[in-house]
Amino acid sequence: MQTQETEKKFIFPIGPQHPALKEPGHFEFTVDGEVVTAATVRLGYVHRGIEKAVETRNWVQNLYLLERVCGICSHIHATAYCLGVEQLAGVSAPPRAQAIREVISEMERIHSHLLWLGVAAHEAGFDTLFMYAWRDRETIMNLLEELSGNRVHYSANVLGGVKFDISPEQAASIRKGMDFLEGRTCHYIEEVLHDPALLERTQGIGTTTREQAEQWGIVGPTARASGVARDIRVDAPYGGYVQFPVEMVIDTAGDLLARFTVRLKELLECYRVVRTILENLPAGDLTVRMPRRIKAGETISRVEAPRGELFYFLKSNGTDTPERIKVRTPSICNWESVLKLAIGHQLADMPMLLVGIDPCFSCSDRMVIVNRGHDNASPWTWEQLRQYGIAFYKNARRGQ
Amino acid sequence: MTPLDPNQVKERSEALLQSAKTVLGSWAAAIAAPAPNRIDVTLTPDDLERAVSTLVTARWGYLAAITGLDIGVTSGMLEVLYHFCSDAVIVTLRVQIPRENPAVPSICDKIPYADLYERELMEMFGITVTNTPSPTRLFVAEDWPEGVFPLRKDAPVQEPTIRA
Repeated sequence: MQTQETEKKFIFPIGPQHPALKEPGHFEFTVDGEVVTAATVRLGYVHRGIEKAVETRNWVQNLYLLERVCGICSHIHATAYCLGVEQLAGVSAPPRAQAIREVISEMERIHSHLLWLGVAAHEAGFDTLFMYAWRDRETIMNLLEELSGNRVHYSANVLGGVKFDISPEQAASIRKGMDFLEGRTCHYIEEVLHDPALLERTQGIGTTTREQAEQWGIVGPTARASGVARDIRVDAPYGGYVQFPVEMVIDTAGDLLARFTVRLKELLECYRVVRTILENLPAGDLTVRMPRRIKAGETISRVEAPRGELFYFLKSNGTDTPERIKVRTPSICNWESVLKLAIGHQLADMPMLLVGIDPCFSCSDRMVIVNRGHDNASPWTWEQLRQYGIAFYKNARRGQ
Repeated sequence: MTPLDPNQVKERSEALLQSAKTVLGSWAAAIAAPAPNRIDVTLTPDDLERAVSTLVTARWGYLAAITGLDIGVTSGMLEVLYHFCSDAVIVTLRVQIPRENPAVPSICDKIPYADLYERELMEMFGITVTNTPSPTRLFVAEDWPEGVFPLRKDAPVQEPTIRA
């Protein structure tokens, strides 16, 4: 989009208070009237130095530390780590454990995508959808609690396998949950595709072409909504995904609407694969014996987290503590795209653009507007920007 | 899209590995295969830019991460790993640089999104990335002491104090 430079410039600093996310950020959007002309990011406000901390703890302790990198996708971090350590040690978790890991991974994706659907609907001013999506999300949270005893850190993994089994009764309640959620998701797809007020906020907004998505290094559902056929579960099947494959969902439109439909259709695929695994759960042990000291070597472990590719590089020096663990989370890839996409868009579109990559937004409830042109600085909260976005589009409708 | 069966994945991986070897062959000081789906290509810092260019021009995969590695104080060296992925295949470009005044060239002109990775590398390992577009701090705090690079093995570690 074309931008115009004039003398009256406003800089919107957003953040840095996002205390619940690994990547809390401080954004600055420079605006010219209604149009954003520049954007920058500063991260690290709650950098906990986990990559350093792992070097002073043993392989078993690190599992619990790395699980806490993220509060939404805790299981996938532990899975990436376990797969890497098992590879270094030359062992492989039993098939039943691999299948249970996949069930939990997909259930985690369901809760994460439903969480996102709620947040995205809320930012668009569609609070009914937000409340329904989060009510339905409770189904999956209760199922995870039933399996593991926990809603957030299910802590299913141990090095060499999983901690708990899925009993036939539990499998029955998971199936019931999947049936309920499938019905709900189909209803939401209809809503998202046909609600005129929501379509106004999503259709043709934040359009990213395939070339742009590749150039900006976007990953996960955000990339797949732009036609980038990249999903680690399909490209490089790991663990249970070899036996129980998933189909990749892609869309070529590249706008916010496509990001909605890709995530919602991925939900349908999650329900299908969870059912398939439960019907064909391999028999056998839950764990294999793991050595305390891990053979010296390097390995790379890639998995598909709800937000995209999660990359772990592990180096062992032959002792019981790792030499180096590098974690590259999917969100770090996607921030860059927001900065690039923001330019040329309406300020009113910022909440939806930011939410489009699925960052954590419960925590960005702090915002300041600095009016450089008139020197009358006044603070804005995230809520005010959201309200501004909703009012902007309401007025636009009235004006038509 | 229908998933590939393991044999198809293997076939594709072999073809991808072969093409990476062909593309990078002329720059590599050494090529190792640490796993069936991986190759490690050792380069001199001077060849890095050209090697990255050839991968980008050949449209081979995408840059997945940049890992800084402290290979020990006694070795006197640091290592930077550039991980490129395509499907199941990972090509790692390995560059060793001295601990004193370590520097690697920026690859942002070829891969714009390497920006955040390079900024992380600079502040965590004290490696200068020459010509990187924004050499400002990304993760470490404003009041973080100059010249302390937390992920180096000889970085001073303070034992955590436990509040009573």
